[in-house]
Amino acid sequence: VAVAANPNAVRETMDRMLNKLCNAGLDMETPICVRLCEQEINPEALSSVIKELRKATEALKAAENMTS
Amino acid sequence: MARHGPPWSRVDAQQERDVRELVRGVAGLQDEADPNFQLALNFAWSNFRFHRFLDVNSHKIEKTIEGIYEKFVIHSDLSKAASWKRLTEEFLNAPLPSIKEIKTDAHYSILSLLLCLSDSPSNSSYVETPRNKEVEKKDDFDWGKYLMEGEEMDIGPYMDTPNWSEESEEENDQQPLSREDSGIQVDRTPLEEQDQNRKLDPCISWKADEPDDRSWLEHHVVHQYWTARPSQFPHSLHLHSNLAAVWDQHLYSSDPLYVPDDRVLVTETQVIRETLWLLSGVKKLFIFQLIDGKVTVRNNIIVTHLTHSCLRSVLEQIAAYGQVVFRLQEFIDEVMGHSSESMLPGSGSVPKKSTEAPFRTYQAFMWALYKYFISFKEELAEIEKCIINNDTTITLAIVVDKLAPRLSQLKVLHKVFSTGVAEVPPDTRNVVRASHLLNTLYKAILEYDNVGEASEQTTVDEWIVHGHLWDGAREFIIQRNKNVPVNHRDFWYATYTLYSVSEKTENEEKMSDNASASSGSDQGPSSRQHTMVSFLKPVLKQIIMAGKSMQLLKNLQCAESTTCQAGARDAERKSLYTLFLESVQSRLRHGEDSTPQVLTEQQATKENLMKMQSIAESHLELDDVHDPLLAINFARMYLEQSDFHEKFAGGDVCVDRSSESVTCQTFELTLRSCLYPHIDKQYLDCCGNLMQTLKKDYRLVEYLQAMRNFFLMEGGDTMYDFYTSIFDKIREKETWQNVSFLNVQLQEAVGQRYPEDSSRLSISFENVDTAKKKLPVHILDGLTLSYKVPWPVDIVISLECQKIYNQVFLLLLQIKWAKYSLDVLLFGELVSTAEKPRLKEGLIHEQDTVAQFGPQKEPVRQQIHRMFLLRVKLMHFVNSLHNYIMTRILHSTGLEFQHQVEEAKDLDQLIKIHYRYLSTIHDRCLLREKVSFVKEAIMKVLNLALMFADGWQAGLGTWRMESIEKMESDFKNCHMFLVTILNKAVCRGSFPHLESLALSLMAGMEQS
Repeated sequence: VAVAANPNAVRETMDRMLNKLCNAGLDMETPICVRLCEQEINPEALSSVIKELRKATEALKAAENMTS
Repeated sequence: MARHGPPWSRVDAQQERDVRELVRGVAGLQDEADPNFQLALNFAWSNFRFHRFLDVNSHKIEKTIEGIYEKFVIHSDLSKAASWKRLTEEFLNAPLPSIKEIKTDAHYSILSLLLCLSDSPSNSSYVETPRNKEVEKKDDFDWGKYLMEGEEMDIGPYMDTPNWSEESEEENDQQPLSREDSGIQVDRTPLEEQDQNRKLDPCISWKADEPDDRSWLEHHVVHQYWTARPSQFPHSLHLHSNLAAVWDQHLYSSDPLYVPDDRVLVTETQVIRETLWLLSGVKKLFIFQLIDGKVTVRNNIIVTHLTHSCLRSVLEQIAAYGQVVFRLQEFIDEVMGHSSESMLPGSGSVPKKSTEAPFRTYQAFMWALYKYFISFKEELAEIEKCIINNDTTITLAIVVDKLAPRLSQLKVLHKVFSTGVAEVPPDTRNVVRASHLLNTLYKAILEYDNVGEASEQTTVDEWIVHGHLWDGAREFIIQRNKNVPVNHRDFWYATYTLYSVSEKTENEEKMSDNASASSGSDQGPSSRQHTMVSFLKPVLKQIIMAGKSMQLLKNLQCAESTTCQAGARDAERKSLYTLFLESVQSRLRHGEDSTPQVLTEQQATKENLMKMQSIAESHLELDDVHDPLLAINFARMYLEQSDFHEKFAGGDVCVDRSSESVTCQTFELTLRSCLYPHIDKQYLDCCGNLMQTLKKDYRLVEYLQAMRNFFLMEGGDTMYDFYTSIFDKIREKETWQNVSFLNVQLQEAVGQRYPEDSSRLSISFENVDTAKKKLPVHILDGLTLSYKVPWPVDIVISLECQKIYNQVFLLLLQIKWAKYSLDVLLFGELVSTAEKPRLKEGLIHEQDTVAQFGPQKEPVRQQIHRMFLLRVKLMHFVNSLHNYIMTRILHSTGLEFQHQVEEAKDLDQLIKIHYRYLSTIHDRCLLREKVSFVKEAIMKVLNLALMFADGWQAGLGTWRMESIEKMESDFKNCHMFLVTILNKAVCRGSFPHLESLALSLMAGMEQS
């Protein structure tokens, strides 16, 4: 019933829940990712990008911490 | 690197924006001019464009999802598995923002993205952290989020806060339940806990400095209605929710003198919660006040939607129940705390008792109450949880309605308590109080059978039977305390006489016996009427027997210091108990098969009862065996019992109400058919054990044999040695009455063949009735054999029994004495002594009486002949009598007795058998008063025989023809008399055993 009544909320719910269940770590990025997926961006590519970016960001932050 | 435009023409600005946003979000780089940002963007684009991945495969995704689901299941994280499955399905079946279809590639690619992301970073953290979170999150989210959708759709972190707050609130609200301070600290803890919780999960950011922080707190933390003045509650202006105010206004306008009081405005939820707390026994409450042990309602409490007096009347009812709870709780505390002020009033002779714990029946009752309260509190907590979760509507009326059965139960409990416990005058003795309580309970059961309060019944049953057993225990404890240490032998007899009264009053009597023994005061009869525990009567004997047997056994084994045996027996009893349960279950099943409607209820009652009973029984025994064991076992059995309850709860539910009236009628029947057999069984086991121990370890049978050997002269050779030595002395007219001589003879005789018994046997002689002594047959009177029987056996072979044995012994001795006297006579003696005087006479009168010689010789010969004849007749008589008694009576009765002893079920029966045996031989040896004339006749004959033998030895010269004739006629008369009497008796058939004696005596007659 809830699904039919409010697709947006449900979508939100769903990807939040799946996100949590999988511990995918997506939060603010969720709607973007969904949009990208809808635009036929390959999800695996997308995931690898996200992972790489995260890794790089962390490395960057670590470096900054070291220098400061 | 040069900046690239959108890679292919189809890529629109939206996608470009999204990718930029993604980079911004994931990498946290806000400045697009940052070379890193450009690097990242390029990296992203190149990856999106030139990846080596295959297109999304929906089957593969489905498989992976299925695999994860299985993984959850394998990890037995079932709730998670379920939510996983449900969520993925819901997701696939939901339209996406820009795609209206379901289960499109976009769906799968989103899932694929999630799976890829989840899979990579750390499998372990994936397994653990989400698991704990998710289970709770899911439901909260479904409800809370769904209701608040729209507004907060995109605000991720905020959505979590209600969850946290609810959790922490729940924790805090639970606490006051168990504390007495009614949750006054509620408002302090949540902030800290929230902080802690927030730190635990990095995914959730709860921003403490958010402006609605305070308002959130105000919403979620209980307002301190007990201290502060009431702040205005937000409520609707609808008439219904303002009834109090409206009414107040009405009063104000109609009554000019009306002054509105200071009122504390509370919410109904607060009232409900205080109600719950009150009923669960919290003492310090706001709405309800405990003043001098009385629960009252605070006067100025008001809710918006009820008038003051209406609320008050409802709350006062509740307060009354709260009062009941307090009173019962107090009782529980009292008994648990062993506070002896009211439990054990010093009644003069009981300084020992006051140190004891409150007695068992009360303890059992307390235990039942305690258990009841635990379940009651669980129910209350359940309701409170409902309130906290806000799942369902809960009003005061609903709560009261929900608790109605419990409240009525409470009422009954209190009634029972007040009649059974509180109203009893403080100085009543424990036994009386116990049985009074039990009777009250019993009555309550019957009563409520009628009313049809099934659940109560079970509760009450519980106590009854607990109490019952305890009562039993108590009973025996009294005994043990008083009797056993004083005198082991009296122990059995004291009780023995008591239960022959066959009433519960024996308790009473016992008490009074003890009382009179210790203090000499007699207060028994006055209170006897109270002490009938009616439903116990039929099995009272068995219970007492079992208890006594156990007691005795315990004492015996204590003496042998066999502690391990207690354990063994404990185990044994356990198995008995399970056996018992099994039988109950099969019974129940049987009942359900045949007429389920009617029987289930009864059976349910029944099995409760029986179970309790069995517990009771085993406790009774246990109690007798080992006190510390008791507590452990009690707990253990109790557990089993609750299992049992659960098992049969189903049966209870489907009960037809109409059947309950049947229950009442059949309550007695139920008891009879189900309870008593098991008691019987226990009793048999118990007593059988005792019998076994007595026979095996204490050689009861051997002692009985010894009694027969010596007193009844079955050990013929031994006793022959003994009595012939005495008879020889008597015959030679020497003094034989010397005790040391007698004992030496006895020891010599016995010591040869029964060295063990020689130390126990002794003989004494007392001079009795010198007038009687003149008759030679009574010369032996006063000889008393005594046998020292060691303790447990002397319960059976008592001193009284020895007296009877001694009577028979004396009779036998007399017969033997007569027989001996006749046996030792020599024919030559008579002739020689007859000749000698005749020779002398002849010498003196030879000259002048030559002519008379011929005729003078004839009468002497005749005389000798007649004496020979008389002697043989006497011998025949004495021998017949001797044979009759030795073989016909003693031997055959002894065989019967031995047989019965083997079959005796309990000690009591054994005692009875022994008594019966003794009285039989006593009867058959004609020692009874009623047949004393027969005995006298026999004694006369024996006397004749002895006089005859005396005369024989003295020689013919001392005899005159007349005296011989007189003897002959005396003997003939007695003989005739006996034969007639015996014949008559035989003809009547009343004494079949006399037949042989009669016949043999008759034979003697005919010859003459």
